[in-house]
Amino acid sequence: MKTSVTDLEAAMELDEATRLAHAFMLQRKKRDRNARLLKHAFLIGVSFIMLYPLVWLLSASLKPENEIFGNLDLWPSTFKFDNYSAGWHALPQSFSVFYVNSAIVTVLSVIGNLISCSFAAYAFARLRFTGRNFFFALMMMTLMIPYHVVLIPQYVQFLQLGWVDTYLPLVVPRFLASDTFFIFLMVQFFRQLPRELDEAAMIDGCSPFKIYWAVILPLSLPAMGTAAIFSMIWVWEDFLAPLIYLNDIKSYTVPLALRLFLDQEGQSAYGQMFAMSVLSLVPVVLFFVLFQKFIVRGIATSGMK
Amino acid sequence: MAGLTLRNVGKSYGALQIIKGLNLDIHDGEFLVLVGPSGCGKSTLLRMIAGLEDITDGTVAIGAQVVNDLPASKRELSMVFQSYALYPHMTVRKNLAFGLQNFRMPRAEVERRVADAARILQIEPLMDRKPRQLSGGQKQRVAIGRAIVREPKLFLFDEPLSNLDAELRVQMRAELASLYARLGTTMIYVTHDQVEAMTMASRIVVLRSGKIEQVGTPQELYTRPQNLFVAGFIGSPKINKLEAKVTAGGRTANVEGLGDFSLPQLPTTDSALTLCVRPGSLRIGAGDVVGEGVIRLVEYLGNETLLHIALSSGQILLATAGGQAAYRAGQTVPIGFDMADLHYFDASGERVEPQASAFAQQGVSGTH
Amino acid sequence: MKRFIARNAPGYLFLMPWFIGFFLLALGPILASLYLSFTRYDMVNAPRWIGFDNYTYMFTRDRRFWKALEVTFHYVVLAVPARLIMALGVAMLLDKGLRSIGFYRAIFYLPSLLGASIAIAILWRQLFDANGVVNQTLGYLGVSGPNWLTNPDTSLYTLVILAMWQFGSPMLIFLAGLRGIPRDLYEAAEIDGTPPWRQFTRITLPLLAPVIFFNLVLQTIEAFKTFSSAFIISNGSGAPADSLLFYTVYLFNEAFKFFRMGYASALAWVLLIIIAIFTAIAFFTSKYWVHYENERD
Repeated sequence: MKTSVTDLEAAMELDEATRLAHAFMLQRKKRDRNARLLKHAFLIGVSFIMLYPLVWLLSASLKPENEIFGNLDLWPSTFKFDNYSAGWHALPQSFSVFYVNSAIVTVLSVIGNLISCSFAAYAFARLRFTGRNFFFALMMMTLMIPYHVVLIPQYVQFLQLGWVDTYLPLVVPRFLASDTFFIFLMVQFFRQLPRELDEAAMIDGCSPFKIYWAVILPLSLPAMGTAAIFSMIWVWEDFLAPLIYLNDIKSYTVPLALRLFLDQEGQSAYGQMFAMSVLSLVPVVLFFVLFQKFIVRGIATSGMK
Repeated sequence: MAGLTLRNVGKSYGALQIIKGLNLDIHDGEFLVLVGPSGCGKSTLLRMIAGLEDITDGTVAIGAQVVNDLPASKRELSMVFQSYALYPHMTVRKNLAFGLQNFRMPRAEVERRVADAARILQIEPLMDRKPRQLSGGQKQRVAIGRAIVREPKLFLFDEPLSNLDAELRVQMRAELASLYARLGTTMIYVTHDQVEAMTMASRIVVLRSGKIEQVGTPQELYTRPQNLFVAGFIGSPKINKLEAKVTAGGRTANVEGLGDFSLPQLPTTDSALTLCVRPGSLRIGAGDVVGEGVIRLVEYLGNETLLHIALSSGQILLATAGGQAAYRAGQTVPIGFDMADLHYFDASGERVEPQASAFAQQGVSGTH
Repeated sequence: MKRFIARNAPGYLFLMPWFIGFFLLALGPILASLYLSFTRYDMVNAPRWIGFDNYTYMFTRDRRFWKALEVTFHYVVLAVPARLIMALGVAMLLDKGLRSIGFYRAIFYLPSLLGASIAIAILWRQLFDANGVVNQTLGYLGVSGPNWLTNPDTSLYTLVILAMWQFGSPMLIFLAGLRGIPRDLYEAAEIDGTPPWRQFTRITLPLLAPVIFFNLVLQTIEAFKTFSSAFIISNGSGAPADSLLFYTVYLFNEAFKFFRMGYASALAWVLLIIIAIFTAIAFFTSKYWVHYENERD
């Protein structure tokens, strides 16, 4: 009975403490909320700056020629969709040709990258053989090599093979795992798969190829997807190699065609040039929107590009 | 079904020897357990038998065939992994059938075997699930199922139960034992858990640092450990080790904190011996040799009570007492043991056996 | 021997495409370009050995080589830190306290993905035109902007700004790195009353050092390799007054405009050595200022 008073006091003290803690938390929550709002405001501002050039490009592609410059309005006075149809046929070849060309190069390159890089990555990540670490180090070193260093001998080589003005110089290297970045990306992924899976498959009678095909590949679809998307985007945007190897306008890819607009700059076809620029970005943006998860994860896991 | 013969089997990475010249005959239809502390090479040895690691020295033969250069897939064995290693992208059915299809078995035969295995392991309702939809115990069954559909000459188990919780482990242990009774196939089982080893094995191989310490039935290992390591490794709670100085020309021994007592006739001239006695043989207030100790800790386990008793030398001995016994920490108790329950080890840690006649004599003269 | 083949065959077979590619497309060309760098070669006549002439000319008399080096270094020194600071700042903003960052992350990353395309380079030319958007905006603020692209003093900044605009990939890598820092470190610091700035210098920076190092090396190498945007914005020439004469643009013109393949090869080798030196410095010094959580492998 005599403890009850002190118990009550203790309880009250405790209550006071929780009340104080509660007030503190409330205050803190409020502070946090203000900070959050400030942050959002700032980030929205940055987003606006980041997107502005792209929005401007889109708006310019829809404007009449005289409104493109000297006017900050993003909303065109009249929507000039003509820019698109005229731009499509503004060059000696229609953009249909360029898009088909780009698509051919891109699809073949992506296939080549996926096959050859996953082969190499499987060997590096899962198989044991003499010299593996040495070759892996070599492979990593080639990641650092600027394309410009191998460019000239490669050009001479392909010229002698009679491959200039064909897509072979753009496509064949990709079947030979020349985009080592993807090997690295896949190695990183393959290494995360438990090794017991390979061993269980070995005991289950799988050859190394069967393990690659029936175990590793099906489990690596995310990595394959990431590699496919990046490879698609980079090949689509590739400028230097097509610039060197493609001379005939009939075989031009989209970036080369866009550059032709620049050569005709005097003829004031800005609206058309911007319209075609917008179209050239559409596949990339589309892929980005559809496969954002793959792209973000790919960068985070491989830590590159 | 087949036996297995290891001859001077060794494994080394450069200068580092993991397995050192092992010789072992595993009989047809035996349940052999490889046990030892982590890093002793037991898993490596199993993987060498499986064909997952190169054999750098000696030969491994399954039946009469030397398999050193045979890839894992051609050794007609199957293996259950600690992590189960189920193919995550395949259904349970596909997991079971995958190996059989790789060996180009007719479809009807594949289906029959998969159905049999599913029935034996009671996983029929799970057949169309993916591994991630299974509980640990279910995954374990599927992993075992994948091993048995192959109808191999040899089963290998690499710590298959260590990812399960305690209750499931006991249950799966019983199921594995009954599976073995049913199939009768040679099984080689790696574990670090001596309870698994003791309960399931026909014979146990105790490994340490890549060498065999002892091979024998569970009873042999428990009752006649060949050296101090095995004595300490097998048996729970751990055996008590008493360092003894031999006095009076081998007639008596002195253990600090326990005093002098007479020794049986031993075939050794070492002046220092280790005497071991299991906690269950250490008795309170009875035995041929009696000393005194202070109870430091009482661990009540229900059916029995584990006492930590400190000798005057400071050494702690473990003793078991009945579950009913009422002891308190701080209590001083008389402790004792019978000479017949002692294990003797010489200075190099090898077992020395009291000579039979002398032992009998001592035993008689020791009792009052 | 038989065992050796059986052990190694699968690995080498799977590596075969890469092996062929490595020898024909990397190692072979690198060695060939080393050889060509000691020759005069115009693709019509066979290469003629001239010893170190290309290199002596380059280092002693070729003003444009030095100009190209200057432009490129200038760009690297400005663009890489600007991009990384931007990336780290935004990543830290996104990392703490916000729930749905996917939206911002996507917007900030998009420019990096598009950045390499010719369309963006074309767009950039127009944004920085004498009466382009940038100058109009500045005009509103009462500043009369320079003629960015024809003024040699300002042209490089258009590319630096383009580089800053594309901070997306290092930002994603920083985000992943920040995610890897255990929350309880900050909570412990909070309880100890550590002010935010000290939390940044004492917890975030040291633990993020490996990631910063990684980004720094990668972005520096990338910056040295900048080509397409400089090529388009300078109209393929490095104009005005060679202020956009990036090393790669100079190399390209020597090779594919003037067909001085031998000399261009020498330029290529110098670039290779510069990049190798930067990578080596970064790696050898890293152990003094980068601390890895778990030193394995």
